[in-house]
Amino acid sequence: MTEVLFALSIGILFGIGVFQLLRRDLIKAAIGFAILFSAINLFFVAVGAFEGDFAPYVSNVEAGRQTSDPLIQALILTAIVVSFGSFSLVLGFVNIISRRYDTVDSNDLNKLKH
Amino acid sequence: MELALFTAVPFCLALLLATPFVRTPLNKSSQTVLTSLVFAALFAWLIGMLPRVQEAGAISQTILWMPSAGISLSFYLDGLALLFGLIITGVGALIFFYAGFYFDDAQEHNRFIIWLSAFAGAMLAVVLSGNVLMMFIAWELTSITSFILIGFNGADDAAARHGAFKALLVTGAGALALIVGLVMLSAAAGQILYPEQTNRFVGDFASILQANTLHQHDWYLLFALLILLGGFTKSAQFPFHFWLPGAMSAPTPASAYLHSATMVKAGIYLFARLSPVMYPNELWTSSLLTIGLVTMLVGAYFAVKQRDLKGLLAYSTVSKLGAIVALIGLPNQSGLKAAFVAIIAHALYKSALFLVAGTIDHATGTRTISRLGGLRRKMPVMFWVTVVSALSMAGLPFLLGFLAKETLLDAMLHYSAPWTQLVMTIVILSTAFTAMAAYMLIYDVFLGRPRERLHIHQPSAWIGLGPALLAIGSLCLGLLLEPILIPVLELAVPKSFELHLFAGFNDVFLLSILILLAGFLLFLIRRSLIKRITFPLSGDAVYREFISYVEWAGTTILHAQSGFVRYYLVIILGAVAAVLILSGTLSDLVAGQQIIPPDPSVSTTDLAKVFMLFLTVAAGLLTIFVREHVKAAIAYGVIGYAIGVIFLINRAPDVALVQLLVETMATVLIIFMLGRIRADARLKVINSLWTERHDHRLGLLRDLGISIVIGLAVFVFSLNALQNRPDRHSIAEWHLANAKAVNTDDVVGAIVADFRGTDTLLEVAVFTTAALGVLTLLARGGQRRGSLAPRKAQVGVLHEFDASVVEEIQDATSLSTPFTRSVSFIVLPIAILIGVAQVLYGGSGPGDGFTAGVTIGLAVSLWYVVLGYNEAKSLLPWFRPALIVRLGLVIAIANALFPILMGKGFMGHVEYDQALGIYDIVGSFGLHITSSLIFEVAIAIAVMGGLGIIIEAIAYPTDRSQDGFETAVS
Repeated sequence: MTEVLFALSIGILFGIGVFQLLRRDLIKAAIGFAILFSAINLFFVAVGAFEGDFAPYVSNVEAGRQTSDPLIQALILTAIVVSFGSFSLVLGFVNIISRRYDTVDSNDLNKLKH
Repeated sequence: MELALFTAVPFCLALLLATPFVRTPLNKSSQTVLTSLVFAALFAWLIGMLPRVQEAGAISQTILWMPSAGISLSFYLDGLALLFGLIITGVGALIFFYAGFYFDDAQEHNRFIIWLSAFAGAMLAVVLSGNVLMMFIAWELTSITSFILIGFNGADDAAARHGAFKALLVTGAGALALIVGLVMLSAAAGQILYPEQTNRFVGDFASILQANTLHQHDWYLLFALLILLGGFTKSAQFPFHFWLPGAMSAPTPASAYLHSATMVKAGIYLFARLSPVMYPNELWTSSLLTIGLVTMLVGAYFAVKQRDLKGLLAYSTVSKLGAIVALIGLPNQSGLKAAFVAIIAHALYKSALFLVAGTIDHATGTRTISRLGGLRRKMPVMFWVTVVSALSMAGLPFLLGFLAKETLLDAMLHYSAPWTQLVMTIVILSTAFTAMAAYMLIYDVFLGRPRERLHIHQPSAWIGLGPALLAIGSLCLGLLLEPILIPVLELAVPKSFELHLFAGFNDVFLLSILILLAGFLLFLIRRSLIKRITFPLSGDAVYREFISYVEWAGTTILHAQSGFVRYYLVIILGAVAAVLILSGTLSDLVAGQQIIPPDPSVSTTDLAKVFMLFLTVAAGLLTIFVREHVKAAIAYGVIGYAIGVIFLINRAPDVALVQLLVETMATVLIIFMLGRIRADARLKVINSLWTERHDHRLGLLRDLGISIVIGLAVFVFSLNALQNRPDRHSIAEWHLANAKAVNTDDVVGAIVADFRGTDTLLEVAVFTTAALGVLTLLARGGQRRGSLAPRKAQVGVLHEFDASVVEEIQDATSLSTPFTRSVSFIVLPIAILIGVAQVLYGGSGPGDGFTAGVTIGLAVSLWYVVLGYNEAKSLLPWFRPALIVRLGLVIAIANALFPILMGKGFMGHVEYDQALGIYDIVGSFGLHITSSLIFEVAIAIAVMGGLGIIIEAIAYPTDRSQDGFETAVS
């Protein structure tokens, strides 16, 4: 079914995220960071324990319908929130770097050494 | 349970003293009285435990923590622990009282007693813990609090910093050895006690002490040496003794308490604790005896040379610790009685002397012996305290120190080995030097002529109370053997013994008097003697040498560092890629993977999924290939939306809603932030990457290679995971079946708010912490510092589209048209309505507290975009994010704690409407007022506040001064 395509997209998105992180542009690195999160969330939703044709609601269960895995959804819900929090922190870092050193090029920053 | 509470008291006291609205109303003297009363009460409680310990032998209490892993909080009170506990609390009460008059500055005093109280708690935990792991944790806590107390004045005093660092390094290194030793010990005890079970760890002392063949175990040599190393470093034994004199830069009350009466005896406590099972082996006894005797002599010898009053006391402490260690090392535990008498006597006289030294320092401003003299008239109380304590130290009959010396000599005389003569020589020499130091303390400081005209700042008379009580202890305890000392010692010493203050004119007594006289002779020739005292090698020099090697290695390694974060990332990820390829993991994964070809009969939902996946990948590639940041941000938004649609297709409406809202918010944030970053800086990096191509082609290939390998690995891994899914064997089935019990239709909502509510609580905490992080970064980190000069960028032609967007966001007026303004005015109330509906009816449809918070946050951010920071701020006076966050968190925590009162446990599910009898009334509106509903409200409020903080922090105009920022946000 669509499993191969899912895995392929996750792999490509992950590669894109890593590539962005490795480049010099800090703003794109931040975006790459967010893409990594998206790839992981996509992985989670694809890997749920079972698939179903209905949303996980009690009314659907009582009607005897096959629902999707609610636990993995709760997990992604948490993951999205936390990744958004860290993403805003990353944006804060980029912002402060640009203010302090007047650059968004990571090649201008070698302050880690001193 | 009561032992746990007992141990918790000092920690709670420390917390209480650190809490602003508790400490502010208490002035210095009430804090002094409070702390000393608390410790006096603890002391009294321990005395009250005495009959129970006498009766039961040992009280052992356990609070189960992780019973399946064999980890528990266990407490063990026997005679040994009681003895140490009495010293810790009793001396502690006096020290806390003293500290109230030692410090002039109330704030400094408060800071000091917070840490001192925390230390006292850690020390009590060391002696009361019934488990090796718990003891180890407490042991480390004492090292850390000691580090803080030694470096108490470290901000202005380099010596204090070095001393603190030295103490931490030495004791910390010993602790590393200790933990390995303790783990091996418990494994060995497990093998002995439960031979039928493999890998069983026995951590509690009560059981370890039962393993009486431990001394024959194969690993004995290793774990005994490691434990000895841990104890020797902690108790400042030769050659590790040098950290203790270095620790004298601590404020004197800390020196008296930690570095004389309690912490340095932790190693001794450990030896005494493990002695019953360890001593039958020669290695244990001879190491303790040898190291102890050497330390005893070295300490006593160096003590007399010290010109610093505290240095003298420190070295004589080292000497006494050595004597105690040697006594514990005597065969057949024959020295234990003498060791415990020495511990009590030393705690009393040495802390009194330290407190005297501190008072002198406080009054005259110096501790150098050669500058002092003739203080008797100026400080009569201190003089008499010194006379009693120093003579107790010298061992004058019939003070408590005399008893300690008698028992010491007696134990050593009865030690029959080929080298008894040598042992006795060392003991006699050391005690004679100690006596000499004691005479010097009395004569050179208090009698004699004043050598300098010192201005004396008289402290409060109360400062003398603690030292005086300690001196009275030294004076009287020897006479009160029967009622006080013997019952305590009987509990701690495993064998029956006799103890008399005066055992007749036997050889021990004569020897004792001879030593006093010899000490006096040494005292008379002290001037010429002291000059000759040298020692070829000091531990301190070795330590300095070692540190300089470490620093050399550090600078050498630094040459290999580029300082560019990006290259570290390249190395880390490159190493991951290399490992993936070289170890064969990747090829194994690929080889074991049978790719199931896509089913040709695809349904429409599958087609939609495929389309959305294609969209994500295409947009992802676009983020790389577009040059302008704004476009990349929008492409990123497309990824987020496409994934949201995939969630929707996969029957996850709740997740889809959150995803769509969050991605909108994230994209808005990126674009918002782009406006805060100077356009020329952004243009420069775009130019250098795309137009001028500064980057080497090789670097591009390298990054590309790493990303491809990692992407490939993730692909193969996901494929494995996706094709090997378990079939409906998931805990999720249970959630589906039980969601009805919490009155929710939406199972995902039920998991988030009820079944896994604690996780959600933590998640909200993480989110608000991240928001606070953004606030702190942007509020505090904005000052331009460092040597990197602002680069005058060679700005080329601004890219047209890019520039216009930047300008629009930087200068919000162009966005603020009548139309956009009215839209934003309308959107906010609607968003609030939607939010309220999502919270109230989240149980029966998609949406929950989080989405409600984000919805309202989005509407607010629209105001900031359209109206600009100032106008939005003035039009939304009620929107105070910091307050809103606090409100949300408080409601969430209260809601989590309240069910405990109802007997439902933390985060339990409570149906408030049924409890209040309004079920039918609210039910007619389709509502259920439950703890989950209140939790959702709390989440909505907290998230709204957190987002508000982030938005305000990022939207705050950068051209203004940073000072007004904090007030602007809070």
